[in-house]
Order: sequence, then C-alpha cells, then structure tokens
Amino acid sequence: MMRLLIAGPCIVLTAMSAWWTTGLAAGGGLWPPDDVTLAEAVATRNNAEALRVIQQGVDPNRPGRVRDGLLTNGYAVDVLPVEAAVAAQRADALRMLLANGAKVDDHELTVLRCLEQSRHDSGVRDILDERAAGEADCSGVQLPIDRPR
Amino acid sequence: MLEVAGRSKAALLALAIAALITIPLANSLYRVPIQVSDSLEPIVVAATAASTISLLKDSIAFSPTTLRPSRYLQARWLLALAESAKVTYTAVFRGVHVALLVVLVALFMLAVRVRDWTDLTAFSVAFLVLLGIHTFAAMLFEAFPVNHYAEVGACALAVFVLAQRAPRRYVPVVVCALLVAALSVIESGAMVWLAVVCCAAAGMPGIRRSTVISSTVLFGAYLLVRHQLGIVSPGIGGHGSGYGTTFYSAEELTQKFGAHPAGFMLYNVVGGLASLLFAEPRNGVYSLLISWREGEIHPVVTVNVLSSLATTILLLWYAARYLRTRRTDWSPPDRAFAAAAVILVANAALTAVYIKDEIISVGGLFYAVCTFIAVRALIASLPQRRVTLAWALCVFLAADAALWGFRVAGVHYQLRYDAFKTRNDWAEVLREDKRDDWPHDTRELAVTRRLQSEAIERRTTSPSFLPRRGDVYWVE
Repeated sequence: MMRLLIAGPCIVLTAMSAWWTTGLAAGGGLWPPDDVTLAEAVATRNNAEALRVIQQGVDPNRPGRVRDGLLTNGYAVDVLPVEAAVAAQRADALRMLLANGAKVDDHELTVLRCLEQSRHDSGVRDILDERAAGEADCSGVQLPIDRPR
Repeated sequence: MLEVAGRSKAALLALAIAALITIPLANSLYRVPIQVSDSLEPIVVAATAASTISLLKDSIAFSPTTLRPSRYLQARWLLALAESAKVTYTAVFRGVHVALLVVLVALFMLAVRVRDWTDLTAFSVAFLVLLGIHTFAAMLFEAFPVNHYAEVGACALAVFVLAQRAPRRYVPVVVCALLVAALSVIESGAMVWLAVVCCAAAGMPGIRRSTVISSTVLFGAYLLVRHQLGIVSPGIGGHGSGYGTTFYSAEELTQKFGAHPAGFMLYNVVGGLASLLFAEPRNGVYSLLISWREGEIHPVVTVNVLSSLATTILLLWYAARYLRTRRTDWSPPDRAFAAAAVILVANAALTAVYIKDEIISVGGLFYAVCTFIAVRALIASLPQRRVTLAWALCVFLAADAALWGFRVAGVHYQLRYDAFKTRNDWAEVLREDKRDDWPHDTRELAVTRRLQSEAIERRTTSPSFLPRRGDVYWVE
C-alpha cells in the first residue's frame, strides 16, 4: 500500500502517457496541431502555418472564419487575413502576407488603418502609413471585427 | 546493484513504465523542427564544404575558444545519410535527437537496475526526476544541429554504467573512445573524464587504474592539442549570463566583471550547483529574489523549487546516513551515490564563466541516479520505522513525485512551444520581400530552401490552443 502511494504519481503519468500514445496512433494525441484557416493562423501568431496554407494555394485575399476568443470575445468573425494581422497587432504577419500575394486596395487600406486605430500597433501603423498619407477618415467605417448585426 | 539484472516482474514493469512515458515525449521532441539558430549555419557549412577532410581542417579555425570538429562532421554525415536513405533532413536530425533521448533513458535504466519491488518504487520517483529536471529538458530544447550535451551525458552515463560492473579488459578502450567522442563535439566532454576519476575515487569496481591512466593521458593530450592550436578557454564576456535578478549581455558582463572576474566566477559555480540542487537560479538569475522584490511568486518557481528542495533533502539524508563510514566500508550503492554526487558537484565548476541549463545537464542525470539510491534506501528503511512516521515519509515521497510528474508534463508543453517558435523562425528565412538577402551560393540556397520547406510543412500547435495557464505553471 505504501509503495503504491509513492508510485501513484508515476502510475498516473504512465496512464496519461499511454492515453496520449493511443491518441497519437489514432491521429490525435496530446495537443495535436489545430486545423486553422489562414486568418486564424495569422490571428494566433502562426506565421509559418499561414505561409504553409498560402503555399498550398489558399488565396490570401479571401476572408476566413476566426473562431471566438482569438480576435473577439463572444462571437466568431469572418475577416481577411490582413485584417486578422492588424487586429492581432502582428506587423510581421502583415508584412509576410503582403509579400506573398495579399492585395490592399484603397477601401481596404482605410479599413485597416481604422482597425489599427482601435488596436494600436506602431509596427502595423508604419507598414500602413507607407501606403497612404495623412489621417484615415474612419467615420462610417464598419470594422471587420465588430459584432455582426 | 552489482548483480546481474534478472527479468523479474519489477524489471519488466519498470521497462514498460519507461517506454510508455518516453514514447509521447519522443513524439513531442520529434515534432520540433530543425532550428534556424545554431543549426542552419553548421548544416550549411557542412553541406557546402568541398570534402570531409577540408571541413575537418576548417572547423579547427572556426572559433578561437572552441574545438568542436565533430559538430560539423556529424552534420555532414547526417546530411549524407538523409540523401542516401532518401528521407527528409528533418527525419534524420530529429530522429537522432529522439535516439539520444532513448539512449539516455536506457542508460539510466542500466545505471539504476531495477530488480525488485523496492527498486521499482524508487524508480517511479527517480525516473520522474530524470525527465522533469530542467537540465534534462535543456537537452531536448536545442540542437546544434545535434544536441552535444545529450551526447556528453550519454557518454558520461555509459562510463558510470561500466564502472558499476565487474572490470573487463575492454573498458579502458571503450572509455577512451567515449572520451574522444565527447571531447570532439563540445568542451563539456571533459565531464566524461571527470566521471572516470569520480567513479575510480569512489571505488567503483569497473574502473581500474589502467582506465584512469589512459583516459587522463588522453585528456592531457587533448588539452595539449588545444594549446598547440592556439585555442584558449572562453573568458567572461563570451556569453550573456545572469547575476542576481538581472540577465546581462556579454558586453555588460565584460564591463561589470571583466577586470575582477573571480567573484563572478565563484557566483556562477555556486549558482550552477544551486540550480541542480534547488532549481534556482536559472541562467544565473534568481527568480525567487525577483518574487521577493515584487511580492508575488510565480507558480512554476514554487513547483520547481519545492520538488528540487524535497529531493535534495533526501540526498543529504542519504549522504549523512550512509557515507559517514570509511570508504572501504561503503556498499556498492554508497559508492555509486558518492561518485554520482561528486560528478554532480564537479559539473557545477564548468559554469564558472557563464551559467546555462545545458552546461549542468550531465549533473542533472546524476542527480536522478542519486535520487534513485536515496529513495530506495528510504523505502527499504520504512518497515523499521514507526507506522505514523513511515506513512508521513510515504506522503512526502508521493508529494515530491507528484511535483516532479507535473514538471514532466510541462516538458511536453515547453516542447510544443519550442516547436511553434522554431517553425515560425523559418517564416523569416528566405523572405519574399528580401530576395537580395538570399544566399548566392546555389548549394547553400538549395539546402536552406529544403530545410525551410520541411520546417514549414511540419505542422505545430499554436500556444493559443494550448492550456491557457500553461505558461504560469510550466514556463520560467
């Protein structure tokens, strides 16, 4: 009984490890990689995954679903990958997307600059300011991460 | 510990436990891509060298303070293996890292030799200490592109295992081969020679005078070769390191301690030993002092310090209880404990210039060996104790093992985090918007592109999908 008590933690870890191994054989296991959209990869700072998804042929200009809790609280949103990068304050991801085919037209640039004004990131602002001078007019601009009505 | 291990139920169960815990750990380790830092450069150098001989010659001149020819040779051989076996570079390099993990676990099992239920119970605690100690995790987190500290650890443990057995004629040859292998990858290979000396000094039967003399001559020759090649020992300022509550850069350390380094070196050696025994400091920085100043202690520090403190108390109890007698009266476990403990202390001396977990990783292995011996002795003594005290000691051991088990689970978490970071580093290599920075050498570009492609294809888990409080409990 005493020995069992001492070995208890190891037995628990062994059982958990066996469970993880079984899950592994079934394609899961402990903390497996999540299936994410391009926008979700960007929102979760997963630039490498974003690059992989783009290299697999996913259009970086198509909106993708971002689940609740990553960019927003209480609801999921459909956003462009560049919007996810600005909302997540990821200048490196925004730069990577622009270098790999993401396009930003004048309207989208305004949306991104307004989004940046609500999230504030100097790195993101520097990239966006290279593409437009002056202050963005955000009156009437619907932010992509706002709760859909 | 000197008898031939039988295939008892306890031994088989220990093997099963080790296998079951190690398999998912190996999977977590295998998921980490090849690193950009510390790995890309030696792989590219190894791949673009005109020949193995020229690589060997050039590697001697790579640094004025290091002599690590096998670092580049291993990379070249592993690249060739990947090509000939037609598998990915990642499969080979990460496969070697997993193999090193398995070898370390196997050598630990040989070192502790579970034969009965008491051994198995002690193993159930010590094995968690082996995998959960921060210095073991350090052997898993980085590769250069092979983790040389893990190689040195395997060589030192192999010496220890040989020392436990009856003397054989081949031992001096094997030990010298292990020493050469370890010294050719990293300077910490000196730990293999120290292990020989410590085992011999403790009177372990497998190491005879001939082994000590031959390995000492070899180590002396190594030092002579270094001297002849003009390779000097690294001084303060070669690496960043912590002091008190602050981590200083190499330049800051030179300014602060360069003129009078003795005090800082003593601080490091004491810190290296304290890190092994109490899980503090880490890289020279005392998180406990930071917690004291800020009035809030981080849970990971609490778990690490309490588990290490409880285990170290056990080791001190064993030393005080069993090593008081003359050396000639020591039992085989006493000799093994003494040798492992002195190796552990000697390892701390290697941190004189700067502290990092990898440098004391060999000491961490022997800390786990000492734990096995001490826990075994404590469990064996339980029937002679009062019932209440015996139960109290059981609860103490179980609580300690639970904390160590928690640390082992944290290794999985940290490896996921490491895999994520490492893979993301590759997104910054060969950037589309910085094509001017791409390598001009076609071979270098091809190797870099292939490594990047393999890393990007290797899907990892984002910390956003890991347990939210994982950082608080597992990352220091």
